[in-house]
Amino acid sequence: MKFTNLYKGIGMMGMVAMAFTSCKRDTNNPGLEFAPNMYQSVGYEPYRQVENHPINPMGLNMREPVAGTVARRNYATNFGNGDSTRVDLMIYNVPKDSIGISERTLTNPIPLTEQSLAEGKVLYVRYCQHCHGATGAGDGTVGGVYQGVPNYKGGAYQTMNSGHIFHVITHGKGRMWPHGSQLNPEERWKVVHYVHQLQKEDS
Amino acid sequence: MKYNGPLIMNKQRKKTSFFSQKIVRRLPLFTFLVVVLGLSQALAQGTEGDAAKGETLFKNNCASCHKVTAERSVGPGLKGITERRDVPWLVKWIHNPSAMIASGDEYAVKIYNEYNKVQMTSFPNLSEDDIKGILAYIEQANAAPAAQAEATGAPAAGGATAQAGAPSDLFILVLVALLVVMLLVLGVLLVIVTILSKAVGGETTEGSEGTFMTRLRTSLTKVAGNSVVRSATIWVFVLLVVKATIDGAFNVGVQQGYAPKQPIAFSHKLHAGDYKIDCNYCHTGASRSRSAHIPSANICMNCHGVIKKESPEIQKIYEAIENDRPIEWVRVHNLPDLAYFNHAQHVNVGGLQCQQCHGEIEKMEVVQQRSSLTMGWCIDCHRKTDVNTKGNAYYDNLVQLHGQENKGALKVADIGGLECSKCHY
Repeated sequence: MKFTNLYKGIGMMGMVAMAFTSCKRDTNNPGLEFAPNMYQSVGYEPYRQVENHPINPMGLNMREPVAGTVARRNYATNFGNGDSTRVDLMIYNVPKDSIGISERTLTNPIPLTEQSLAEGKVLYVRYCQHCHGATGAGDGTVGGVYQGVPNYKGGAYQTMNSGHIFHVITHGKGRMWPHGSQLNPEERWKVVHYVHQLQKEDS
Repeated sequence: MKYNGPLIMNKQRKKTSFFSQKIVRRLPLFTFLVVVLGLSQALAQGTEGDAAKGETLFKNNCASCHKVTAERSVGPGLKGITERRDVPWLVKWIHNPSAMIASGDEYAVKIYNEYNKVQMTSFPNLSEDDIKGILAYIEQANAAPAAQAEATGAPAAGGATAQAGAPSDLFILVLVALLVVMLLVLGVLLVIVTILSKAVGGETTEGSEGTFMTRLRTSLTKVAGNSVVRSATIWVFVLLVVKATIDGAFNVGVQQGYAPKQPIAFSHKLHAGDYKIDCNYCHTGASRSRSAHIPSANICMNCHGVIKKESPEIQKIYEAIENDRPIEWVRVHNLPDLAYFNHAQHVNVGGLQCQQCHGEIEKMEVVQQRSSLTMGWCIDCHRKTDVNTKGNAYYDNLVQLHGQENKGALKVADIGGLECSKCHY
């Protein structure tokens, strides 16, 4: 009789365990962690934060750069090979409203090669295509909803020079907002190469 | 037939006058010509320019900011533009809007101020004929929409009813299937119970006596009374519990299926799926650094500074920007600190698509962790994946050496993809 009681007890426990484990997990709950001190970083990481930072404003691990700091995102300063090598720090202090200065003074320091054009295309697909469209006709998937996206081959757009395009990517113009935070100057110049290609192509 | 404008129209006029003498004998041809003539005259009377050419020009140059209807887009709607302004004024304006505004033209300045001092782009290479063509197209398009709306209205309504009917059919189908399955299960249960009771009791049950339920009950009590069956059942239970416990222990720290509620109901389905915005547009770090980056609010503003400003969810971003407070997004993919992972290496060098690890993000309303992110999962991929060595001189020697001793292609595992210190240090 003792054995049957034991069996009964184990059976009951088994059923309870089944009932608990078969429940669906709440999607808001990340689940159990074993030894969390091996999961959480000892140093302060920007994108992994469990507790408020004790010193920084708003408890953020990240801090804003000191006011007046000039971002220097591209570390290469030589572009091109041989005699055509150009040295450019790519730090341009052209104010947002002075697009004329950019048009007159800025030139593309990156030589136009097959590679730079291909890289420009990759960047164009990532950062521009959803509005400006694959051919630059302003017919991207977002462009239709956003409205006011020009056709690169239309009117004055067809002849816009490199400095102008660079300035617009950096600071925005009209309905387009600045994209300088997403593309560093070197990448912007590569996009400029590809945009020139789209201005020329026959549609 | 190629249509070359007025030249052919003249020819047709001549022909009609020639054939008009033989009206009676050539009646069908005559009516045909009259119709052709009438149509061409109607076109010529309504507009001065070539509407077909105007349509292409309009779509290439104007459509991004103007609509042919009265609806206001970026610029004013162009319905009835010829009544508002005369052609010479329009030509001057289109060729050089800034000069018009600078010269103090009353209407130009009014328009400029009405549209928040956003100046129209100049189109100096559109000729006067081009502009007339565009105006002709605008007039033509405004005459057409009523008929078009009628034509498209009917099928749309039909489609809606068909759609409404579809789910109910499916529902009935599922219901019937469920019923069939239930009946089958009941039958199988009965068969099992009779066989078991036969085996246990060693005697045939008195077949057709009593209802189905009483038969089931007597058979079950007989089975339950047998010690072999009882201990077997209990052992099955115990083993199942052990398995569940081991599985549970293995899942400690695995967050597969984690889909936390975010402070702003951002939909990847809408942005990455419907609008096909590239992942890299917002997650700028994915191709450049270790972290894929959670986009800062200024990237949201690239579009939402202009569109959908009134949505309550987007108002939350505005609030965050105005108060200079961070948006507290909940991180979904939490790789433990003991393992190192680099996005740029996998995206740029490995050439992986985001979806390979993150699942069908473009179909998710709320982002969920699809992959387990366990070490076994990492290693498995490193063992299976070929290294893309084509056109990369760096790998030439490695591929040659690898080929001497091994048969298969060069895998990630062969170039250190399984070494502990690559990820744990």
